[in-house]
Parts: sequence; structure tokens; C-alpha cells
Amino acid sequence: MGGDKLKIVLSLTPPLLIIGTLFFGGILYGFLQSLGYQPSIGKYDINFDAYYNVMFSERYAKLFWSGLALNLWVSFVSTFLAAVLALWGALSIRKTFFAKKICNFIFSLNLPMPHLVVAVGMIFVFSQSGLLARFFTQIGFIASPSEFPILVKDKYGFGIILAYVWKEAAFFFIILMSVLQSLGENFEELAQSLGANKWQRFRYVILPLVMPNLFSASIIVFAFSFGAYEVPAILGVNYPQMLPVMALDFFLNPDLNARSEGMALSMIIAMIVMILVVIYFWLTQSKIRKD
Amino acid sequence: MNNKIKIVSIAIFSLFFAKIASAEVAPGFNTWDDVKAAADGGEVNVYMWGGSDAINGFVDDFYGAPLKSDYNITLNRVGVAGTVDVVNQVLSEKEAGITGDNGNVDLIWINGENFWTLKQADLLYGPFAAGLPNSQFVAWDNPAVSLDFGRPVDGMESPWSSAQFHFMYDSARNDYEDMPRNYGFLTKWISDNPGRFTYIRPGKGGFVGTRFVKQIFFELSGGHAQWVGPYNEELYNKWAPKVWALLNSWEADLHRGGETYPTNNAELHALFANGEVDMSFTQSPRGAGPTNSSGTTPPTSRAFAFYNNMIGDFNYWAIPYNAPNKAAALVYANLVLEPTLQAAQVQPANGFCCGWGISTAKVTDSKGVAAIQDAQNNLGDAAEDQLILANALVADIAAEYQDKIEADWQANVLLK
Repeated sequence: MGGDKLKIVLSLTPPLLIIGTLFFGGILYGFLQSLGYQPSIGKYDINFDAYYNVMFSERYAKLFWSGLALNLWVSFVSTFLAAVLALWGALSIRKTFFAKKICNFIFSLNLPMPHLVVAVGMIFVFSQSGLLARFFTQIGFIASPSEFPILVKDKYGFGIILAYVWKEAAFFFIILMSVLQSLGENFEELAQSLGANKWQRFRYVILPLVMPNLFSASIIVFAFSFGAYEVPAILGVNYPQMLPVMALDFFLNPDLNARSEGMALSMIIAMIVMILVVIYFWLTQSKIRKD
Repeated sequence: MNNKIKIVSIAIFSLFFAKIASAEVAPGFNTWDDVKAAADGGEVNVYMWGGSDAINGFVDDFYGAPLKSDYNITLNRVGVAGTVDVVNQVLSEKEAGITGDNGNVDLIWINGENFWTLKQADLLYGPFAAGLPNSQFVAWDNPAVSLDFGRPVDGMESPWSSAQFHFMYDSARNDYEDMPRNYGFLTKWISDNPGRFTYIRPGKGGFVGTRFVKQIFFELSGGHAQWVGPYNEELYNKWAPKVWALLNSWEADLHRGGETYPTNNAELHALFANGEVDMSFTQSPRGAGPTNSSGTTPPTSRAFAFYNNMIGDFNYWAIPYNAPNKAAALVYANLVLEPTLQAAQVQPANGFCCGWGISTAKVTDSKGVAAIQDAQNNLGDAAEDQLILANALVADIAAEYQDKIEADWQANVLLK
């Protein structure tokens, strides 16, 4: 018995060590810097000035709150749309048909593509001097490329949402396909034999069964899209500006005193994601208990 | 009594001269020969922005070869995405307690805010710039050299090259004669050509945009001279509202209606090359030459400058406090100031981006003079007339204006 306990402790130590030092150590270091503690430039005070500056000072308040609103909007919408798109796709090609393998492949093709490449690709295709704009001008649909509607680098984040939906749908798709595969046809056939139509089968059989997996995948996608930098950096505008872009701006400020603000903003981003994850868990738990 | 005074004054005098006689070339090195001896057989780690193949090739060829053959030093060039990354590295090394000769970085290509970050935090080795033999060619009495973004250099960095803000246009779309030559005419040009102009937003990574806005201050206030010297809050507050009013009046006719602005040179060049806007910015004495050669801008791009108020400044090499090869770093910093190599860096054929770091008037030997003349004659037709550029040259102003302008532009123009 003692030997087992020792084995468990020994096998857990390496990953815990890595998580503890690199991850939690990093967070602790960042947290200290956000409180103003930067011994390398002789700052030893601890206060919440950086947090106040980021959220309420005249210079940054408008930028912060509009950025937060944009961040929440983009993350919620892209997560939701990606989930819907993937669910529809997974349900459509569930049954075996002649091109199933090909469709499967196409749908999950963009999974290994880096977000950065996707963002740059969006610029190439959808910007006002991009492929589509020039094509439509060529065929006479619009008079000049600058009349092409603004789909990227716009203040509602449509380009960012488009990029995330395109990427995350593949992620959801893989998960849903495996879940639906393991579910099998039994529940549906049973419901069908009891007289349920297609919509009822979906609403009362399939949806509740895939919901737990969908929720946990949503949390991952939401947290990622909330805190990611490269897509909003390329496809976003100066104002409103998504929070991770704003945070890096602070961090790269040559004035070292701005580091605290950068760390404070990063801490705020992490806290918001934490809160939302907790709410998600609370919602899923209550849903499971209801059912 | 007289004798005593004589003896004391002689003692003081000799101490004085003794101090001068033993004045160091740089901290830790008594003579230039000591420096060369210490550097012999070693290497030097040069950290610089690596985004231009042409500049990288220039450094490798024109400095790498003489360093090896004349000084027996191996050049190790390290490209970085941004100078701020090296600044962060040195800062992290300080936080990790790496001192003495145990760091990684020997030289940083640096100026402005990044230089100030390191100098302010005591992260630089020096003062060394005045001890270099070739510093005789540097115009240290010129505030444009001895002040970096308005802050004193104090010998903690040594010049490499210079840059002056001006504009680019595409000769396939516009004519040289039609381009505006001051902000007044630019305002008219913008309203005549809606959606065809934008500027880099003043902010981090966009100091070129801040320069663009500073120049508006100079023009609206009637002259640059009153802005030289320490930060003058009254002067700033007098003219800032008029500048923001002008920029806001442009908004409706700017590209994308002023909803978004490019954040750095690369983004503006991309808009210019794609045909979305008709003007871009450049800082090279060869105008559109470097970007034309690298394919960033269309080959028909040419340069033009306003007749006044075009800010120019210098960029430098600095040595971190914990550089592992300080002697080799000094040799390198001295080598780049060599008149024949300075002339080579201005020659378009060599692909370098920027202008003179030395004062060409101070060069007297025939070989140097000939090289300089040749370079001046060869700048290429993508460059603006050097006389116009020289007449419009003004120095950058106190560093406090930089942050103020960036913050106020954001509050008054971007956020409206």
C-alpha cells in the first residue's frame, strides 16, 4: 500500500513540477509585476495602480471597455457559430455515403493550419485590395476594388469572427464526429419507432447526448479566442482593440513602468476567462442534474 | 610662501595631466592597442533588426570581412524581429543577475526610446563613443547627434547611420509636380482625392507616424526653432488643439474614413503597393530605392519631400553592461565609422537602407573624400533631390513630446 502511494507521488511529481514552476511561477511573477513590483528597475511598491489605470484612467478606460465588449462579442459569436456549423456538418455526413471519406477530410483539413496563416489568407482574399475585390471588379460587378464591402479590419470584428469560425469548426467537427460515432444509431432508431420526427429526434435525443462534449469543447475554444493575439492583431482595427493586442502594446512600451499595466491587463484577461469557465461548469452541472 | 604655492600648483598640474595621460579609451581599456589586443582571435555578437536581407548582407560582407582579415574577429550577426526584443533580453539578464562578461549581447542597433530604456536602467557599458579613433569624424557638436530623441547620448552609444522622414509616391499613378509640398497643400490633396491617403498611427512601433504629426506642429506654429530645447508644456498646449482639429478635418476623406490606421511601415507600404493609397513614408536618403529593390513597393515608386520640416535623426550602436566581448564591440563600433565604409553604406548598389553616420565635411584623406563623392553622385532616381532634403532637415524634439503626442492623438483623433 505504501509502495503504491509512493509510486503515485513519484509519477505525479514531474508534470506537477513543470506546471508548478513554469505555469504558476510565471503567473505569480506576472501578478507581482502587475502590482508594481519590479526590482530590476528599483520599484518595490505594491499597489493596485496598474489595474486602476487600465480600467478607469482617462487615457485607457474607453479603450479597455470597448475592447472588452469586442472581445466578449467575438468569442461568444465565433464559438457559437463554429459549434453550429460543425454540428450541422457532422449530422449531415454521419450516414455513410459515397463521398463520406472525402467530405470528412475536407471538413477537417484546416485543423493543422496555424491561425496566423488563416488570418493572412483572409487579408489576401477578403480585403479591399484582395482576390475577391479584384475579381469582382474584373467581371464588372463593382466599379473599383475599393467598393468591395469591408469584411476584414472592421470595427465589429467580422473578419476575426470569420477566421475563428473557419478554424474552430474543424475542431468541433472532429470531436462531434467521434461522439456521434460512439453513440451509434440505437437511440435515434428507438425514438423514431416511438413516433418522433426528425426535429424531435434532434432536440430530445441527439442534442442532450452531445451537449456535455459540446460544452467542454466550447470552453476550450472560447478561452483560446478570448486570449489569442495573432488573429486580432492582423484582422483588427485600432479602436476598438481586442484586449490581448492592447496588453502586448503595453508590454512592448519602452517605458518600463508600463510593464505593470501590461501585466495587469493580462491578469484581467485570465480572470475573466476563469469566471466564464466557472459559469459554464455551473451551467453544465445544473443541466446534467436537470436531465 | 611663494615656493609652496609653486610646488602645490605644479603638483596639481601634473595630477591633471596625469589624469589626461591615463584617460581611458573606454572603461577597462587604457589605449586603443589594448582594445585591439583584447579583441584579437575572438568573436563579436551583433544584435540588430533582421527584417531586411539587404542590410543583413551588407553587414555580413562589408564588416564581416575586414573584421576577420584586419582584426581577427569573427562576426556573429543575430537578427531580431524588433530592437525591443533585445532590450527585453538584456533586462531579463539583469533580473537573472548575469553580470560582468557573462551576457550574450555585444552590440545593439538602437536609438530613441529603446536606448532610453537601457540607459535609464543602467544597462549599458560606457561611456565609450568618444574614445573610438573614428569618432573624430562624428559631429558630436550637432544636437541631432548628441541628443537621441531629445535625450543626451553621453557617449553611451556611437552613431552608425541616419534617416530623414519624407514621402513616396507612385510615378505610374501620380506626377512629381502634383505632390503636395507642405501640410496645407496636403490637406487640399486629401480632399481632392478622398480615400487615397492615410498615415501611420502615432504609437508604439509607429514612431514614424509620431514624426508625421510632430511636423504638423512645426508647420502650424510657424517654425521648428521654438520647439528645440527642453519640453515646453505651454507651447504644446497652445498648438495641440489646432493639430487635432486639422487631423479630425481630414478624417472623412482618409482611407477607410479614418476608422483605422496602419500601425507601422510594413502596413502602410502594403496599402501603398496594393493601390489602396497613393503615398507612403520613407526614411532612407535613397527614397523609394531600398523598398523598390526588395519588391515591397512597385518599381515605379519615387520619393518627394516637403520643402520644410522633415525630421531627421541618427541611429547608433550601444554595448550592454554585461557584453561578453567588449573589446571586439569597440572595434566594430569604430569600424562602422570608417569613411570608406560609410560611403559604401550610402552607395545604392550595396543595398543599405540609410544615410551618413559621420559628418562628410570632416573627412580629409583623399581615399575617403573620393568614396564619399562617388556615393553622393549615385543615389539613384528613386531618391529625392538631396538639396531639398538637406534644406528641409530639422532635428527631432524632446522625448516628452513623443508620449504626449501619442496619448493625445489617441484620445483626440482616434477615439474622437
